[in-house]
Amino acid sequence: MSRPDDAGDRRPPPLAVWILGRVLPRGPRGDTVLGDLVEEWQAHGATAAATLRFWRQTVSVAVRYRWRREHVNEPAPAGERNTRMSLDNLVQDVRYAVRSYVKAPSFALTILFTLALGIGASTAIFSMVNGILLRPLPLPDPDTLVYATEVNAGEGRAERTISVAWPNYLDWRARARSFAALALTREEPLTLTGVERAQRLRGRRVTGNFFALIGVSPAIGRGFTDSDDAPNAAPVALVSNGFWQTQFAGDPAALGRVLTLDGTAYTVVGVLPAGFEYLRPYDVFVPMGPIAGGGYLTDRGNHNGFSALGRLKPGVTIASADAELRAIAAALEREYPNSNSAVSVRTFRLADRIVDSVRQTLLALFGAVGFLLLIACVNVANLLIARGAGRQHELAVRAALGGGRARLATQLLVESTLVSVCGGTLGVVVAAGLLRLLVAMAPEGTPRLADVRLDAAALLFAFGAAALCGVVFGALPAFQASSVGGSHALVRGRSAGFAARSHRLRRGLIAVETALALMLLAGAGLMMRTLQELTQVDTGIRSDHLLTARFVLAGEQWTPPRRVGFYDAVIARASALPGVGHAALASSLPIDGSNWNSIFIVGDKPVPERSKLPSAAFTPVSTGYFETMGMRLLRGRLFDRTETPDSAKVIVINDTLARRLWPGEEAIGKRLKQGWPETPDRPGKPGEYFSPWREVVGVVSDVKFNGVTNDTPMQVYLPLVHDYARSVALVVRSSTEPASLVPAIEAIVHDLDKDLPLFQVRTMEQMLDASIARERMSMLIFAVFAIVAVALASVGLYGVVAHGVTERTHEIGVRMALGADARHVLGLVVRQGLSMALVGTAIGLAGAFALSRWIDALLFGVTATDPATFAVVVSTLLAVATIACYIPAWRATRVDPTTALRAE
Amino acid sequence: MPPAYLGEFEHLLLLAVLRLAGEAYALDIARELDVRAGRFVSRGALYTSLDRLEDKGLLRWKTAPGTPARNGMPRRLYTVTPAGLTALRASRQTLRRMWRGLEDLLEEPTS
Repeated sequence: MSRPDDAGDRRPPPLAVWILGRVLPRGPRGDTVLGDLVEEWQAHGATAAATLRFWRQTVSVAVRYRWRREHVNEPAPAGERNTRMSLDNLVQDVRYAVRSYVKAPSFALTILFTLALGIGASTAIFSMVNGILLRPLPLPDPDTLVYATEVNAGEGRAERTISVAWPNYLDWRARARSFAALALTREEPLTLTGVERAQRLRGRRVTGNFFALIGVSPAIGRGFTDSDDAPNAAPVALVSNGFWQTQFAGDPAALGRVLTLDGTAYTVVGVLPAGFEYLRPYDVFVPMGPIAGGGYLTDRGNHNGFSALGRLKPGVTIASADAELRAIAAALEREYPNSNSAVSVRTFRLADRIVDSVRQTLLALFGAVGFLLLIACVNVANLLIARGAGRQHELAVRAALGGGRARLATQLLVESTLVSVCGGTLGVVVAAGLLRLLVAMAPEGTPRLADVRLDAAALLFAFGAAALCGVVFGALPAFQASSVGGSHALVRGRSAGFAARSHRLRRGLIAVETALALMLLAGAGLMMRTLQELTQVDTGIRSDHLLTARFVLAGEQWTPPRRVGFYDAVIARASALPGVGHAALASSLPIDGSNWNSIFIVGDKPVPERSKLPSAAFTPVSTGYFETMGMRLLRGRLFDRTETPDSAKVIVINDTLARRLWPGEEAIGKRLKQGWPETPDRPGKPGEYFSPWREVVGVVSDVKFNGVTNDTPMQVYLPLVHDYARSVALVVRSSTEPASLVPAIEAIVHDLDKDLPLFQVRTMEQMLDASIARERMSMLIFAVFAIVAVALASVGLYGVVAHGVTERTHEIGVRMALGADARHVLGLVVRQGLSMALVGTAIGLAGAFALSRWIDALLFGVTATDPATFAVVVSTLLAVATIACYIPAWRATRVDPTTALRAE
Repeated sequence: MPPAYLGEFEHLLLLAVLRLAGEAYALDIARELDVRAGRFVSRGALYTSLDRLEDKGLLRWKTAPGTPARNGMPRRLYTVTPAGLTALRASRQTLRRMWRGLEDLLEEPTS
């Protein structure tokens, strides 16, 4: 119902009124029209229907007035004439462009598809690069945060990160002038008990100054202070927002609650803000207090997994901070030669350290996707040039009718910009999908994935890329086409000059495209070979039908005898499961890397100077471990039932150690002692560390210990009953699908101790897969890029050759009329097409060799210039190119000479 | 100068203006066309046609003050110029000549 009483208060749709203001003439001539429309709107009750009607009439008036002005030369409203003119032109150009694309939908769709693919893929990878590498860490003033760790830089040995010894940290803190503050932290998984089901928490132990240093205060409660590091301080903990939500349902009363972590009662004093992350996500942070004063902590020779985090003073550079720490390390080396010889320090920007593992991969992928984008652009340019060539007559007519060269070029630019804007929009949609896929597929442990999103920078990138495609690659054909002389193109027939010129350009572009495609294909080929090599690496173990799971016997209650009893029980019950052949325990597993690296001395050799002491991975294992893993005994014996806590101290070594230390000698019967030369070899004062001499009783085959790519280190296996490790992995070999044993294994451990969570439960094959996940993903992405690149390049090649055939129909007709046979024509066309591909291949090979060092770091078992790979790549590309040329060539042979000649 | 040629819609417009006798503004004209001739005409076509007739010198207009119902905006009151009248007469003459002798054939049925 209309209500006239308040109709007067309402206003007609403002946008429509604005539009009318733009199109209608100024003064009473326009005002009267507007007044009529308003009056009518009021008369209709100012209802929604009236508004609709108002809009309809606005449109009709707008269209009519604009048309009238264009065709009757009515002056535009004063003062707007110039802008209006060019705006009119633009509107006209856009309208014209849309119309011309709608008329040739397959052409427009090809361009859109190509652009969407190129822009989508590159925007997705850019978002990864941006989120992970470029965007500042979500921490206050992240550029002044530095990460430092100690390294063993002994002569003749590869530099090894050994983490920071607590006393060395205290000396850094006392002496270094570069830092406003210096904290020490380490990853420390903790077992939460006293809850319904014991859990393994992701924990990090930090010094009390850590949160003040990093500039993050808890969302509720308090942070840590230096007093929390005192040995007698009450144990406290900060929990992450996520843990607070899941464990305490976001209840503020969580403050003051007690968490039993590794048997120690920690009081929750604060909840960290949502989104806070240091290096990795953690559930809980704990201060040094509960472990302070421990003998292993205060021993300067013990590097217990800590790394330092420093906040640079204003104006101090990382280089100078690094130099200062190195100087302090050198001084400590002189002061404490026994513990600090060959120990130095390395400093990194925190952000660099976090993304170190993925930087190379991401940059290589970004480079690859850049090539893909270029190929897409070249393809679009090619299509636009081809179209320009086809439209030379139209353009010539327009030029002859007075269309200025600039005006024509503008129109072509508008056309290409239009497609690139549409392509960019589609590209963003593609990028959003791809990005979701990439994040979901990203290997476990990929840093900063939470920071990866399609943000303003990504949109800017996408539309920047689109604009570049449109302007640069659209300008080329625009320039080409607009340089058409009006007169000569009007002469119907073969205007050889323009056609030849555009054809030369297109052939050049095709060569470039082929070169880019070859480089991508080479990258993909090399990555594929790498993956193949990785999966074929002999790990030294039988990785099938092997289940692994870890648990930790943390806390005072786990005395050595209780630990031994627990180990025996777990092994006995796991072995008794149906389908289980062997079960064993080890403190470290192959592929996974060592938990215990140590220097050692050899009984029958002179002790070298401290910086040259040999180092090995020490691994306590239970009886049956080697059999379970499927390792081969080379000499001597394996551990057996005779190993008891009181039996003679024996060890099994790996082949590498035997060959390196006793080349050409029998290693069996030799002795070695873990630790420093002065480490006592028998118990002295209670609590003092001692390390007995141990006798080699067996040599086993090497296994890949640290991933599949690293060389096997020297390894020493000792019986678990001689070194009762608290953190152990259970390995079970089954005759059935190993994953099916998980519930039974969990039940066994839960039955033996309900407060013992199992973690890292996975099959050995899963572990192997995870260790090459990054390479697998890079290969996959490279392969997809390469396939798309080759497809685009061959479509481009096909287009150029086909177009060439069309243009030369007449010539081919003449040739055939003069007696050339089909084979001759076929050869002629294919040869000309392939010559472009060959030139491109040559350029691509040169480019691939020039870029080889960029991809080298991603490769394994294959060099960046591997001839076999390149042979396959080149022949694949040329085969595809031949097919792309052959199809139009075959069509050329079907030219009927009489038709071709009559067409003149 | 020969009288201006009138298109059919222009013809109807001039007649509508004449019928409204000096009080004609666009909305009245549209209503007249609707009621008498059964022609609904879009506003765009209406105004541009009126402008065109003005350009040809067949119509002229003066403004009348607005009312609150039109937010105070003025109205255009149209009158037919002598040239417009001439054009209408000439047009009618032409039609008459063409009609002559066809009355029997084209007379509407009376029953």
